[in-house]
Amino acid sequence: MKSAGRYILPAIILLLIVFPLVFLHSNPYAIQVAGLIGIYLILCLGLNITIGYTGLLDLGFMAFYAIGAYIAAILSINNVSFWIILPVCMLAGGVVRWLLGLPLLKLRGDYLAIVTLAFGEIVRIAANNAVSITNGPKGLPRVGERFSSINFFSIKFTENIHFYYLILFFVFIAIVASRRLENSRLGRALVAIREDEVAAELTGINVAAVKSVAFVLSGIFGALSGAIYAHWIGFISPEMFTFWESVFLVAMIVIGGMGNISGVILGVFLLVGVPEILRDTLGTRFVDYRMLIFGAVMVAVIIFRPQGILPSKRRALELEAHV
Amino acid sequence: MSEKILEIKNVSKNFSGLEALSGISFEVGKNEILGLIGPNGAGKSTLFNIITGVYPPSRGSVVYKGRDITGIPGHQAVRAGIARTFQNIRLFSNMSVLENVMVGRHCRTKSELFEAFFRTRGFRKEEDEIKSSACRILQDTGLLKYGNELAKNLAYGSQRRLEIARALAAEPGLLLLDEPTAGMNPRESAELMEMIREVRSKNIAIIIIEHQMDVVMNVSDRIIVLDYGKMISTGTPLEVQKDPAVIEAYLGTE
Repeated sequence: MKSAGRYILPAIILLLIVFPLVFLHSNPYAIQVAGLIGIYLILCLGLNITIGYTGLLDLGFMAFYAIGAYIAAILSINNVSFWIILPVCMLAGGVVRWLLGLPLLKLRGDYLAIVTLAFGEIVRIAANNAVSITNGPKGLPRVGERFSSINFFSIKFTENIHFYYLILFFVFIAIVASRRLENSRLGRALVAIREDEVAAELTGINVAAVKSVAFVLSGIFGALSGAIYAHWIGFISPEMFTFWESVFLVAMIVIGGMGNISGVILGVFLLVGVPEILRDTLGTRFVDYRMLIFGAVMVAVIIFRPQGILPSKRRALELEAHV
Repeated sequence: MSEKILEIKNVSKNFSGLEALSGISFEVGKNEILGLIGPNGAGKSTLFNIITGVYPPSRGSVVYKGRDITGIPGHQAVRAGIARTFQNIRLFSNMSVLENVMVGRHCRTKSELFEAFFRTRGFRKEEDEIKSSACRILQDTGLLKYGNELAKNLAYGSQRRLEIARALAAEPGLLLLDEPTAGMNPRESAELMEMIREVRSKNIAIIIIEHQMDVVMNVSDRIIVLDYGKMISTGTPLEVQKDPAVIEAYLGTE
């Protein structure tokens, strides 16, 4: 068992690297879907830090995707290199999230959810109305403008497959970062806060500070994802960042399994990947029924597996070796 | 009394008009087990909450090892050396037994986010230290065999023990136990008292709120009796038991 398990991870990575080459000509749409799954994965892994580990319900996470996307778009139009845009967006996402957290993290449960929801809407409406900066509902880039392309040494990112590998790289980083967070002093503190905030404080955890770190981290992930997406699709508009999208993210995490990386991956695949695959096989008429099925799945999961399909299992730690 | 570790100076607490505590003063010596008793609503848990920084007192001060810690936040009180358990068990239910104790070491460790992301040598060394000291505490408290169980799956008595184990992980100088034997049968209570004496032998002072009189009279060096927020008696278990004021508070007058 153990020796076989060792090969699973490298096999999956190899498969993910080879996968687009197989479909390059036969089914380019598959690569696009895979890229989209990756974008949502980075988002959801970020949101998972807030919702899954720390237990803070955030219903406006798309705001940070939007912030990343808009900052990236504006800088890109002004010919700033993608490799500079990326850290700038992450920094901006983190700082905004930190500022938002200052008043917000004093709230708990439902109240927190409502205020994050409002923030998500404020960002979308601001993007809609600040026409001089965002071009309002017409989106960016404006007519006659274009995003500068991403260059990696001599490769110019133009095809979906380029972005696929870029996204895959960041998905990989997001997963490793999440895993390492999970198994660290800070990660344990996050989960402890989720389990019992009062006990966490009186066990020596600076709850306010640790919550703030979790909040900022997820904001960074969100903005990163938005920046890549803007460059990939080459167009953004406020209607991409609706409340519904934020709820959709939460749904992925809840259905897959809160606080569990594999669960999040499964949730994203089920809610982003499967409908697209079905659209391909069942024809476009299926799209009309998508929400119906989605709702039914959600209800079924909540009834039969309220902790998600793959609930979080705190890792079994080897004990004897340490005594 | 030997050297004192905690001084409560004239502490009062009002909750919107209701005086939960009024003018409480006492000291706790190093290595001492102090019993805190009194009828329901006497202000025992309020006193614990003030000492551990859940809320500040309305008046008066708390001095720990010569340092005024009145009104500091809870996590800083733990860092200063005051750990506690709760009247209603408050474990991190969905974390393993081992992890619960590892969280207890949070305030004695310092690795930050970036060290965790890059798995620096310092980070790994500290993780090892956290794990092995947590395992040691579990072994001392007889919980090691449940290390990988989720805390919520433990038997009631073991959950009470785990709360103490988690508190011990912070290397406290003073341990506050809020009704540790509540809901335990006599045998479990006796075992727990054995454990409490062992804790004391490691140079940790203890304040214990307890309703089982035989337990608290047996284990305490000294007893303080609260009634309606006032300290009505103090002394050795024998002295307190004979005090007419105490008998009146518990049994009423003839």
